[in-house]
Amino acid sequence: MRNAGDWKAMLRFLGITLMAEGGLMALCAMPAVHFADGTLWRIAACAAVTLAVGGALWRAFRNEKVIKDRRMSYLLVTVLWLTLSVFATLPFLVTGSTLSLTAAWFEAMSGVTSCGATVFADVGSLPASVLLWRSMTQWFGGFGVVLLVLALTPRLGINKYALYTAEASGADNTGKSAVRTTVTVRRTLAVYLLLTAVFIALLNASGMQMWDAMNLTFTNISSGGFSPYSDSIASLTHTQQYLLAGAMLLSGVNFTLFYLLFTFRWRQVRHKVDQVRFYLLVCLLSAAFVVLSLRYGSGYGWSDAMRCGTIQTVSALTTTGSVVGDYTLWWTPAVFLLLMLGICGGMAGSTSGGLKAMRVLILLRNARGILRNRLHPNAVNPVRLNGSPVSGHITNNVMVIFMVFGTTLMLGVMALMLAGVNATEAIGASVGCLTGYGPGLGASGGFGSYAHFSAPAMWVCSGLMLLGRLECMTVIILFVPKFWRT
Amino acid sequence: MRQLNYRLVARLTGMLLLVMATAMTAPLVVSLLYRDGAWPGLLLSAVAMAAMGLLLRNGLGQHATYDLYERESFWITSMVWLAVPLGGALPYLFTGTLHSFTDAAFESFSGFTTTGASVIPNPAVVPQGILLWRALTQWVGGLGLILFVVAMLKRLNRGALQLYAAEFSGTQQRKLHPHIATSVSRMWHIYTLLTLALAVLLILAGNGVLDSVCLALSTVSTGGFMTTQLGMSSYSQPTLGLLTLFMFLSGINVALLYSLFTFRWKQLRGNYEFWVYATVFTVAVASCTAAFCLKGNGWGHSLGYSLFHIASTVSTCGFYTDPPAVWPFWVSVVTFLLILSGAMAGSTGGGLKLRRLMTLFLYLRNYLTRMLHPNAVFTVKIDRKVVPGEYVNKIFGFVFLYLCFIIGGAFLLTLCGSGIADAFCLAAANISNLGPSPLINSLGANLDYAALPVLSKWTLTVLMLAGRLEIFALLAIVSPAYWRIRR
Repeated sequence: MRNAGDWKAMLRFLGITLMAEGGLMALCAMPAVHFADGTLWRIAACAAVTLAVGGALWRAFRNEKVIKDRRMSYLLVTVLWLTLSVFATLPFLVTGSTLSLTAAWFEAMSGVTSCGATVFADVGSLPASVLLWRSMTQWFGGFGVVLLVLALTPRLGINKYALYTAEASGADNTGKSAVRTTVTVRRTLAVYLLLTAVFIALLNASGMQMWDAMNLTFTNISSGGFSPYSDSIASLTHTQQYLLAGAMLLSGVNFTLFYLLFTFRWRQVRHKVDQVRFYLLVCLLSAAFVVLSLRYGSGYGWSDAMRCGTIQTVSALTTTGSVVGDYTLWWTPAVFLLLMLGICGGMAGSTSGGLKAMRVLILLRNARGILRNRLHPNAVNPVRLNGSPVSGHITNNVMVIFMVFGTTLMLGVMALMLAGVNATEAIGASVGCLTGYGPGLGASGGFGSYAHFSAPAMWVCSGLMLLGRLECMTVIILFVPKFWRT
Repeated sequence: MRQLNYRLVARLTGMLLLVMATAMTAPLVVSLLYRDGAWPGLLLSAVAMAAMGLLLRNGLGQHATYDLYERESFWITSMVWLAVPLGGALPYLFTGTLHSFTDAAFESFSGFTTTGASVIPNPAVVPQGILLWRALTQWVGGLGLILFVVAMLKRLNRGALQLYAAEFSGTQQRKLHPHIATSVSRMWHIYTLLTLALAVLLILAGNGVLDSVCLALSTVSTGGFMTTQLGMSSYSQPTLGLLTLFMFLSGINVALLYSLFTFRWKQLRGNYEFWVYATVFTVAVASCTAAFCLKGNGWGHSLGYSLFHIASTVSTCGFYTDPPAVWPFWVSVVTFLLILSGAMAGSTGGGLKLRRLMTLFLYLRNYLTRMLHPNAVFTVKIDRKVVPGEYVNKIFGFVFLYLCFIIGGAFLLTLCGSGIADAFCLAAANISNLGPSPLINSLGANLDYAALPVLSKWTLTVLMLAGRLEIFALLAIVSPAYWRIRR
């Protein structure tokens, strides 16, 4: 950690990212002009500050391009997300949307981790520029994490030891669509932009205002879940809701898969077929359960049950967190299932959070293997994924991530309860924040917000969001004394 | 492929039923002595069990050969663990203590799995014979029904190890003697000795004879059936002190206890798990006492309650007394963590067991170091011995399934109307064979198991059994490979 070059390279990287963030912030000045909400100069100032800091960092260290120390790359990932949130708080504070630093930090973190938990009880009263900024943070946060997994991790050398175990190495060696990082980045960005454009167009075609279409697409394609309305997506037409469900469903799919599909490389898709099948199967079965429970447990009509059940299931599984009906009032087992779906999450290499379908699949198959092994002690039962065996090493690493995830979840519940949140709501908030689903249970679930949380509880939540988005280990390693020893 | 040796399965199951029928004479005698009117019911159940046992042992299992492989050991484990608790439910029904089959089965499974969750509303008005039977089921289940079989059958030596492993699946067990049956007998000896010691001490502390015996049986097996309606609050301080000590002792590996009783103190020093156990206990007690005191409760009561409560929780015994007036939330946190962790592997307690958690922790530490040094090679070492990689994998698998069972169980409980938080606590408390816990009460759930719906009771029953058999033996029953008699 004594290598000055590494620090400089890290600052350069931060500078570039901040410039991108500042650029997006500048875009938020457009609605300020269009709707004349009086925040033009303030949002412009925020953008200017962000751009200036980013530009200065980049300018000062533009020649330091290589990070040599692996530890630095772990640090970079966490620092990156923290810095992004620090600057993302600016528009909230400067426009006076919230006066509390804690609340602004919570909202910013929820944005850049594309979590979707909000502290604004009445979203409708926010200025247009801030609304767009909220959506924008999720949009680039979601893209950022895909980039992190697909492009940056290999480049930073983290993949050498299976940090993103299931994705960047071993278990799935088709994680990247190209050998060169720049090419991967470009392709991923292209896919992301294409999906965003398509859904904006579709929503617009279904009769939605361009403004809403943009906001909702940004937050749903990134599996974020912010909405410009307090009742999330409940007041939209049914067609629009189903369209958004489509966006969410796609946001839970591995981005490389899209690239393969768009370029007609059908044969390579088979390397991911297990994941896709599992993801769709979980989605289908859970949706069926939720729909039936709504029809027969909560007295919905068939069409409403179908709509609310399927859309909310997709929203939970992809950890988006858009709310189509107040699910906190639904039959408890259905709510329970939605929580568990959040923990499962979408496919690895997508914008969704949670454990990821591939890991859950490995965990289940490993358990089955152990069971078989007990019946036939001499049989060799490696975990197989897409037809090829997964090494025991990787299986154990997935297990570690699962354990750490589970422990974090549990400690999160307890920390929240110590901060004065009641048991049910603490479970909901811990799952909501750690998996990136967003809304939880009780008053913070459904159409509710986290506005009533105490400051310590909000800090716990934002910590959980960060841990969840960066898959725990990257953050935890920073707290190991050995990490800082030279 | 070899055919399943079903005759042996039948013979051993029958034999154990006969043993239990014999054991029922003790409650029968007590019932006659106390004139509680339960003797016809007890006699009838004993006869029924004996008849069933004889039918299985001498009918179906007449010409059994003692060839025992994995498949048989799973069949035996599951058959024994189904037949014996079901047989043990008969006395509750025949004496009219409990009226529905669900309740009787719940009580019996709760006893044999040493959970101690009771659906009897007021144990004080139950016939004394039944009280003793209830305590006795825990005592037999404490070390395990299979260990009973293993101890009885000296000639099973080769297969005995497999049987032993089927019940005590997850952890590497240190054998006390190269001959498995001998080492198991030793375990039974030390277990009996502890029970007798506690019973005598309790009598000396001024408790009634039957009460003392019942409590001793419940404590040493970490079962936790209580003989009064209001928990343990009506007992004197010395009694509670004794119970605390013995609950702590029963959280210790039985093999380690044996070496202590034979004055091999060195074993203690080399056993890291014991030190972890002692540390966890001390830290938990200290922090809970502090938490109670900070909320303004008195020192004495806080310390006494914390000692009793933590010993009861970590050993998954499940006794409870009156808590101090103000309950700090911190105690709930500690309690929940201890419910999951449990005590030492190879003890009579439930939970995930500290040894497994130690392994996982060490593996996690290696993982973090490996993130920094990708090419380094590490091993997990416990007690200066390497734990093999596939073994770590099994432990991971076990913990995963354990959590899956908790989640699945909680889901079924919500189907019957429990809230999500309550469902998790109930599921965790029962899979770890703890049973009643003030934790559940503090979360607002009903401590009264009797009021739960039928499906909830059966869910909890399955969870108890899963926890006691450490999941794999139970899962083996439902796996298709198990049902393939001839492959």
